[in-house]
Amino acid sequence: MLRKSLICVLLIIAVSVAAYAAEPHKPSASDKCAVCGMLVGPHSKWLSQIIFKDGTVMFFDGPKDMFKFYFNVPTYAPTRTQADITDIYVTEYYTAKPVKAQGVVYVIGSDVMGPMGKEFVPLTEEKANSFMVDHKGQKILKFDEIKAADLQSGDMGMPGHKH
Amino acid sequence: MKGHGRIIEYALSTLARRKFKNFSVAAVFSVLIAVLSSILFLMHAYKTETLKLLDNSPEIILQNMSGGRHELIPTEYIGTLSGIAGVGQITPRYWGYYYDSLTSANYTLMAFDETMRDVKPIDGRMPAADGECAVGRGVADLRQVGIKDDIFLTLGTEQNVNLKIVGTFTANSAILTNDLVVLTKADLIKFFNMPADKATDITIEVNNPAEVSMVARKIRRTFPDSRPILKNELLRTYDNIFNWRGGIVLIMFFGAIAAFMIFVWDKATGINAEERQEIGILKAIGWETSDVLQLKFWEGVVVSLSSFLTGLILAYMHVFYFHAQFLAPVLKGWSVLFPKFEPMPYIDIYQIFVLFFLTVVPYVAACVVPSWKAAISDPDSVMR
Repeated sequence: MLRKSLICVLLIIAVSVAAYAAEPHKPSASDKCAVCGMLVGPHSKWLSQIIFKDGTVMFFDGPKDMFKFYFNVPTYAPTRTQADITDIYVTEYYTAKPVKAQGVVYVIGSDVMGPMGKEFVPLTEEKANSFMVDHKGQKILKFDEIKAADLQSGDMGMPGHKH
Repeated sequence: MKGHGRIIEYALSTLARRKFKNFSVAAVFSVLIAVLSSILFLMHAYKTETLKLLDNSPEIILQNMSGGRHELIPTEYIGTLSGIAGVGQITPRYWGYYYDSLTSANYTLMAFDETMRDVKPIDGRMPAADGECAVGRGVADLRQVGIKDDIFLTLGTEQNVNLKIVGTFTANSAILTNDLVVLTKADLIKFFNMPADKATDITIEVNNPAEVSMVARKIRRTFPDSRPILKNELLRTYDNIFNWRGGIVLIMFFGAIAAFMIFVWDKATGINAEERQEIGILKAIGWETSDVLQLKFWEGVVVSLSSFLTGLILAYMHVFYFHAQFLAPVLKGWSVLFPKFEPMPYIDIYQIFVLFFLTVVPYVAACVVPSWKAAISDPDSVMR
């Protein structure tokens, strides 16, 4: 009986810790994008975040900067690696709510601009096609299909916003 | 500073010597400031209040049109609407106007729905069951009823309801709730005899503000006979209406402003012989030109600043304690049931600064400049 309840308690703790780690964070007014240094508060509709094993959270003012960070973690955070990442959240375009970055698709080449110009627009899969039509998107990419090279391609980035 | 103190003292005694003239100047000045700042205060309070209330309004209100007139909207539209990407919560609204012949006033009847859960402030509560209602302050006062009283509304033998008042909206929200009667959906539909599959209009939330115009465009394409009203358009319209009405009132007082300008101009272009002689005497007994200018500066400041402050206080009392009795009818609109609007004291510091620089500063300049002309000339020739 005692063992059973102990396991039960441990299970609850484990679940709640996992749930805690998975929670997307809310940025404070002074939180800045870990890549470009812009305040993220005013761009809540684009907010992205990476959460590390130790609970540290890094905010980004758009999925594009999040990917830049993701592909080059040591450049921006010398003490960390990609393996330390537990969760990634992006803000879904239509609902304006945080969702797991792996659970959505990204449209590139659309006419929707984020705070840093052209963006990877995060969308739930079923809404992606209608978005492609409405906003002249060029390509739908899954999280795993995005490569570091996509960030350098000509249609991303804006003149004067080089990092 | 001690020198300044003496000069101010002297300036005050100079002003006191010409009591009648200075007093009438100050009175005119104060009244003018009071009028102008009343208009500014009231417009600002109205605008802030209205925009604050619109803050909670939905991104899009969808109306159905028939022959260019507002028509009841089929609730089956909701299914199609929820398929549009970016659309959040969709709520059909049930409301209408009711002319109460007993009190010869128009009431707005509205069915209670979940989106109104947060409507505050209210004494009592919102209607929960059929036969209950919450009324605005204006309705309560006109019918001379309060919480726990009954209110009877009728449109004929079939369409009538007897409602128990369970809540009243407080004065703070009067501009929107004054003529409001909130009742349950079933009561409203029965009262207005509305078809079961129709609503008055539909509110649509859009989660991402960047998508509002795209959603509106799609709605127009899907339902060409409907009219989506965007919150942005509402905000702009209200802003324009208030600016326009404020402008009309300002034009009405243009005469007063012109009179003030002429008065200042008259002062600026010349001083009378008596004042000229006084400056000559001061110079003769050893005053520097700068002292004379200081004296005139303080004279101007005392008169204009005290009238400016008096005017501001008068305007504040007029607008926020006496509810702008002189201006409100013009600025508010022409409804039968006037909201007894008690504006919250919102004040725009920027406006006060503008008013200050447009009135006090020219007045002080108009006091100093001609005296400066007199003060730099030879005292002997001035006194002669």
